Amino acid sequence: MTTPVLEIRNLHARIEDREILKGVNLIIPPGQVHAIMGRNGSGKSTLSYVLAGKEDYEVTEGEVLLNGENILEMEPDERAAAGLFLAFQYPIEIPGVATMTFLKAAINAQRKARGEGELSTPDFMRLVKEAGAQLNVDSEMLKRPLNVGFSGGEKKRAEIMQMALLKPSLAVLDETDSGLDIDALQVVSKGVNALRDGQRSMLVITHYQRLLNHIVPDVVHVFSDGRIVESGDKDLALKLEAEGYASYGGEAA
Amino acid sequence: MAKFPVRLGPAEETLIAQLKSVGADQAAERITVAGLPTRRVEAYHYTDLKTLLRSIPPLATPANEASAPALRIPGAYTVMIANGVIQNASTAPAGVIVGKAEGGVLTNRDDAIVGVNNALTNSALSLTLEGSVDPVIQVERRIEGEAAHVADALKVFVADGASATIIETFSGSDAAHVGNHATYMTLGKNAVVTHVSVDLSARAATHFSTNEYHLADGARLRTLVIHLGAGLARTNVYPTLGGADAHTDITGLNLVSDGQHADITMETHHAVPHTSSQPLFKSIARGRSKAVVQGKLVVARDAQKTDAKFMHQGLMLSDDAEILSKPELEIYADDVVCGHGSTCGKLDEDSLFYLLSRGIPKAEAETMLVRGFIAELLDPVEGSELNEALQGVIDGWLLGRQ
Repeated sequence: MTTPVLEIRNLHARIEDREILKGVNLIIPPGQVHAIMGRNGSGKSTLSYVLAGKEDYEVTEGEVLLNGENILEMEPDERAAAGLFLAFQYPIEIPGVATMTFLKAAINAQRKARGEGELSTPDFMRLVKEAGAQLNVDSEMLKRPLNVGFSGGEKKRAEIMQMALLKPSLAVLDETDSGLDIDALQVVSKGVNALRDGQRSMLVITHYQRLLNHIVPDVVHVFSDGRIVESGDKDLALKLEAEGYASYGGEAA
Repeated sequence: MAKFPVRLGPAEETLIAQLKSVGADQAAERITVAGLPTRRVEAYHYTDLKTLLRSIPPLATPANEASAPALRIPGAYTVMIANGVIQNASTAPAGVIVGKAEGGVLTNRDDAIVGVNNALTNSALSLTLEGSVDPVIQVERRIEGEAAHVADALKVFVADGASATIIETFSGSDAAHVGNHATYMTLGKNAVVTHVSVDLSARAATHFSTNEYHLADGARLRTLVIHLGAGLARTNVYPTLGGADAHTDITGLNLVSDGQHADITMETHHAVPHTSSQPLFKSIARGRSKAVVQGKLVVARDAQKTDAKFMHQGLMLSDDAEILSKPELEIYADDVVCGHGSTCGKLDEDSLFYLLSRGIPKAEAETMLVRGFIAELLDPVEGSELNEALQGVIDGWLLGRQ
């Protein structure tokens, strides 16, 4: 059997004294797109932060294997170099850091961690231009400080552009549809779909079924009270949209 | 109030003897009566010179050796003052007249650093700027050789409509010098000046500096003080906006590492109606260190429509760092927009996590964020050579992790 891109075994995590993840099990084979749906507060975003290695969360039990390698002991930058990418629900604005400087530092840091040489400036510029063109990220946006003054749609497009440049083996998309109008949703989805290549896997976290019309998942999981409670094909998302999360118990959001 | 005799320490005894030796009896008397300022003197509340300045080295003799230039700016016109002596300069660029002026240059005020500089300076470098001066003017002040106490001064006249960029660098040998430097600058009508001062002296040194500015109608001044060298540094910045529509962006940056103490104290006078100022200061402290910014905006009774806002932002990179902020407003007019703000904190955890999540290692991510924090001060300094040189100095501090 091929090694899954992501394997989560009995993952428990807490923030301060509150347990949020209560035994998550998930396997994503290469090339598959899995969606996690759940009501607000069910722990979906926590899962994405725990995967990326945010300090605030403490893993109390379980394992996370990325391409067969346990990443829980790794720093966030090492996880990124190992092939994990998190598209943030709320990308952070960083005044004073030029977008291009940031992109170049990120690409070269990951290349270095993988033992590859630095990109030359012309090669880098060409890559950014190509990736930007697909996602309507123009040079005017790239001249601004990182995410500063970007609209909601611009921020999400910039996230997907970063993903295209960094070429992760696993992309975690945390509520990528939030704050997007239909036009922006289409641009972002097109960008994401262009990165589906039969090898790269994705974990799409969303509250609404709408996004899954555009990024069609292979498997849909329902998340409730810190664990996956049901899995199915894309029709499960339609059922959730029609019936809501009420049948899965827990408190209403 | 009852007067008690002040107990004088060795630094004060030396200073009094030095002042008397040059015939500055009044200044000597002042120190004899009051001593060096302590925390009880409001302007020195966070920089108690009596405690911090334990000794003063002998008055400087002319330098007969020179350290390497602390900062080279390609294409700049450079004039040097070494151990208080003005060196022969190369041919001045068009629009610049180089000369000497006798005695101190600062307006006398109730301040020990100003008093000592005026008393000990015997001749000042004078620069008259008659038009738009193209090359950056660099005034390189050095203290060379054995530990020395040096007072030196620069007087700049900027003619109506003239423009120039002036950078002053302070450096020298790595002995326990005490430098006391003065710059007095008048800006004529509609003159446009950028004035940068960078302390690059050795850690063993003490750096005192006073920058006094007078702006006529429509003049525009941007200043940037950078402290990163001396163990103890204090720069006084005294701008007076004396003409309508004059504007200043007074900025400063304290970069302090373990064992350092740096203080920028500003007092801006809005003397006439319709003037504006945007003082912006930043402090970054690591190790056990202390950074101080005091900023006072004084608005005269007649100075209606003054628009002024003081801001100081501190970034603490260690638990032992201390950043102190004292904004003051003294407003006598009744139709003004004045304000002040102050923030202090660590690097933003969410920003750091975002950069890490993209594969950027922690040390590099922190450096990016610190550079980003400083960019607001460096970006407005025009001239790519000057800007790059300043960025290089700051990067040296950031990466040196001294």
